[in-house]
Amino acid sequence: MSWEKELIEKANEIIDLYPEKRSALAPLLYLAQERDGYISDESIVEISNLVGITEVQVKSVASFYSMYKEEQTGKYLLSVCKSISCEINDSRSVIDSVKEFTGLENYETDVDKVFTFEEVECIGACGGAPAVQINYETVEGLTPQKSIELCEWLKEEKPEVVVAEELQNMFGGVKSFDWAINDNTGSSYSVPGFQNIGTAKEKRI
Amino acid sequence: MTDKITINVNGSEISTEPDQLIIEACEDSGIHIPRFCWHKRMDPVGMCRMCLVEIDTPRGKALVPSCTTKVSEDLIVDTESEVVKKAQEGVLEFLLINHPLDCPVCDKAGECPLQDQTMAYGPGESRFVEDKRHFEKPIPISEIILLDRERCILCARCTRFSDEISGDPLIEFIQRGNKTQVNTFPDEPFRSYFSGNTVQICPVGALTSTSYRFKARPWDLKKVSSTCNCCSVGCSVELNVSQNKMLRILGEDNDFTNQGWLSDKGRYNFEYLHSDKRITLPLLIDSSTQEVSINESMDLISNEIFSHKKSSVSFIVGPNSTNEEYFALNNFVNDLKEKNDNSENINIYFSDDYLYKGFFENQEKLGEIKDLDLADTIILWSQDIKDNLPTLYLRIKQAVKNGKKLLIFGHTNTAIKELTEHYFGEEIINKNFEFNVEISEIPDLEEFILDKNVVAILGKSSPIQDVEPITELFQYLNEKSNLKVLNAFSKGNTFGALQNIDCVKGLNEFVNEFDESKRNLVFTIGANPVNNSVLSKKIKDRLIMSDFVVALDMFLNETTELANIILPTTSYGEKEGTVTNLEMRILKQNKILPVPGSALSDWEYWSMLLNKIDNEKLFESEIELNSLMCDEYIDKEILPSFENLNKPQNLDGILNFKPINIEIENINLINLEMLFVHRLYGDSSSQINSPSISMLGSERFIEMNYATYFGSYMLNNDVVTLTQDDVSIQVNVYINDSLPDNLIIIPINRRGFQNLDPQKKVELEVANSREQLSVS
Repeated sequence: MSWEKELIEKANEIIDLYPEKRSALAPLLYLAQERDGYISDESIVEISNLVGITEVQVKSVASFYSMYKEEQTGKYLLSVCKSISCEINDSRSVIDSVKEFTGLENYETDVDKVFTFEEVECIGACGGAPAVQINYETVEGLTPQKSIELCEWLKEEKPEVVVAEELQNMFGGVKSFDWAINDNTGSSYSVPGFQNIGTAKEKRI
Repeated sequence: MTDKITINVNGSEISTEPDQLIIEACEDSGIHIPRFCWHKRMDPVGMCRMCLVEIDTPRGKALVPSCTTKVSEDLIVDTESEVVKKAQEGVLEFLLINHPLDCPVCDKAGECPLQDQTMAYGPGESRFVEDKRHFEKPIPISEIILLDRERCILCARCTRFSDEISGDPLIEFIQRGNKTQVNTFPDEPFRSYFSGNTVQICPVGALTSTSYRFKARPWDLKKVSSTCNCCSVGCSVELNVSQNKMLRILGEDNDFTNQGWLSDKGRYNFEYLHSDKRITLPLLIDSSTQEVSINESMDLISNEIFSHKKSSVSFIVGPNSTNEEYFALNNFVNDLKEKNDNSENINIYFSDDYLYKGFFENQEKLGEIKDLDLADTIILWSQDIKDNLPTLYLRIKQAVKNGKKLLIFGHTNTAIKELTEHYFGEEIINKNFEFNVEISEIPDLEEFILDKNVVAILGKSSPIQDVEPITELFQYLNEKSNLKVLNAFSKGNTFGALQNIDCVKGLNEFVNEFDESKRNLVFTIGANPVNNSVLSKKIKDRLIMSDFVVALDMFLNETTELANIILPTTSYGEKEGTVTNLEMRILKQNKILPVPGSALSDWEYWSMLLNKIDNEKLFESEIELNSLMCDEYIDKEILPSFENLNKPQNLDGILNFKPINIEIENINLINLEMLFVHRLYGDSSSQINSPSISMLGSERFIEMNYATYFGSYMLNNDVVTLTQDDVSIQVNVYINDSLPDNLIIIPINRRGFQNLDPQKKVELEVANSREQLSVS
């Protein structure tokens, strides 16, 4: 399925922001991921036509970065940090409890497509270790117990949009510092919420 | 010339150009630094770390990659220190962590840089006990290339080549870290005209050719340098033969011509040499086909030629003979004219639709390929350069990369439009290739050429084209700029034929001068004008009307099957001689294969026939012909004799000139709607008899823009029917929006288009199924 007209218009708006068309590649890949939940081959063909490089060059970039998913993810992408600061603050037991709750191994998605679990390298929240991201929205200072509550809540409530601030208030603990930009837009699917490229979701009212 | 600087390598001083890389400077002084990723014709990347050397820095000695570090005055380099050796051992040990040790079954073994350098610089043993990385092996990434990802050491030579040099990046690194692999996009094979070069530059056996896989071991190969005959660039090649079979052709680095690269046609077009369809004995075609001896056939032919003095004798020559052979033919033709006292009706025609008078009058103006590197502006108005002079396209691409400006005229060369500063299409030039505006008023043209160094690559874009506008452009450029011109005739040894035949005419002259009322004898020499020409139909009619047709060829084809007698000939690799490329550089072709059956080279036939005219005359050998031929070259200082060409300093060829005389009338047509082009791959006898590449020319499609005839209903790969009188051809459509409205591009060297009359209109009809689709 080739891209919808509105999506192509959005893509062209993004391309216009750059002096070189191919510079728009990374944000366009997020558009593709938001559309399908992963970077599909159809999207790669579409992007290669839009920015004027070959399909395999798009694929090369898309497969290099681990935040671009090559396979469909669940509604909630659980990224638990395993880098050094989190490891010291016992992220291992957070990982174990999330694994136990969801029954998933690394990079697995459950049959209902609710959760995808992954262990990731540093997500830049060392001050609030251990930290996790739900659809790239960061929650800091988690405990094994809180992480299970978080998963239970996601499973029952199935919120369309997750917002870091809310998750932090409900399940988080120690927080490193307030983020410079107060971003309460939140995200859905496994795409970071970028307001200016249109992958961010407005906060629920 | 900038001043040289001095650096110190391993304790001795060497002098080098500033701005050179350490690895280059050392190489030039005979100090070899091991490397995998660095290639002198490509930008350095520093991927493999094999070329680490120690240099003195303000902070003490440091290991740096010599392929990305430039020399500086008084730089101290050590390429053999203990630290360097340890680094080399370490790099090799790491590379071998995942490289499979399947050398016994690997085609590269024996000429493998990884194997050789492991022997020379490696640690001798591995400490690695874990499992190696595994991939499916090998996978085809195109019809002619196979990829074994386990063997790949990620040097990025192939991906850089396809991006930087050939400009069709269809292979790239996929994934990251331990999973990194070279691959193509699914359903988008590595279909490049230059893909074979990646096999040649791969430092391991990761990329292999279907045609060479498991055929030979490198140490069993017999090798000889020669010159490719596929287009008139005259790329330097190395022919690799084992057990009297040509197995592989490699590019040799000749700075004047190909810089080491080859097109896939030049590289893989050789299997036909050993095809069982080759004609190896003279064939007499009467009511049935029978084999005859050479002597019988010569008697028969001389009888036909000499018995009727007033008959018209036409020689249609192809581009695959050597200069010596054209020279021998010319001699024979001159003596025949004298003997028959009939110079009017004996003519030599060259079988190339694109031949016209060209620009040869002023030798000073003739450019070299190397001039492209120094020009400010490159003007291109010719047939599709990527298809017809592929390695010249690579040179142009390099020039553009180095900041030279490329301007393209006309409706061809749309495939390289993105390289241009300006593409002067339909607003400037109409469909008949005439200027819509005065040349001096073409916007932006003057600023690119006024008092600048301009190289113009000029030739007909289409077989039926008024050449007057090209001449106008030439004259304008000549007045305004410092002009060098390259005549873009593309077929094999065209320029050798022009240099060594007193007067060359075109196929159109053959058609027009043919006089039914006379007795007609026609010789075709390695030419197949009944296929591949816009005049094919007319030529076929005339060959059928002729009284006696002699064909010198290697195969039965559309032309030779109309002959009365077929004489088996030889190909390059089976004869010694010289060829002339488009800059008038004379290059050597060498013999490495035995001649099959009773086949003889063209010159031997001409020599025997000459002997029939005059008992005294006989050419003994190629060397004798070569020395006779040399006498007529203008520059006596350096003649293109075998002796001179075999000298080490002349291996890159000798530039020399002869007066050129082409008698061709301007073909002027109005209301052109079909533009005939030649694609790299077609249905020539040699290609269809080379199994590895025979399928590459089988696709039939025409090109037109979106709006032509059907508006937006057209889609890529739709099927249309071309109709003209009783001819009807079903083909696929390829949408090319760089074309003007109502212009159809037809690849004349692909089967099925030969019956179209270029002077009549064609009807286009969308195939039914598609029409219904577009309505619903």
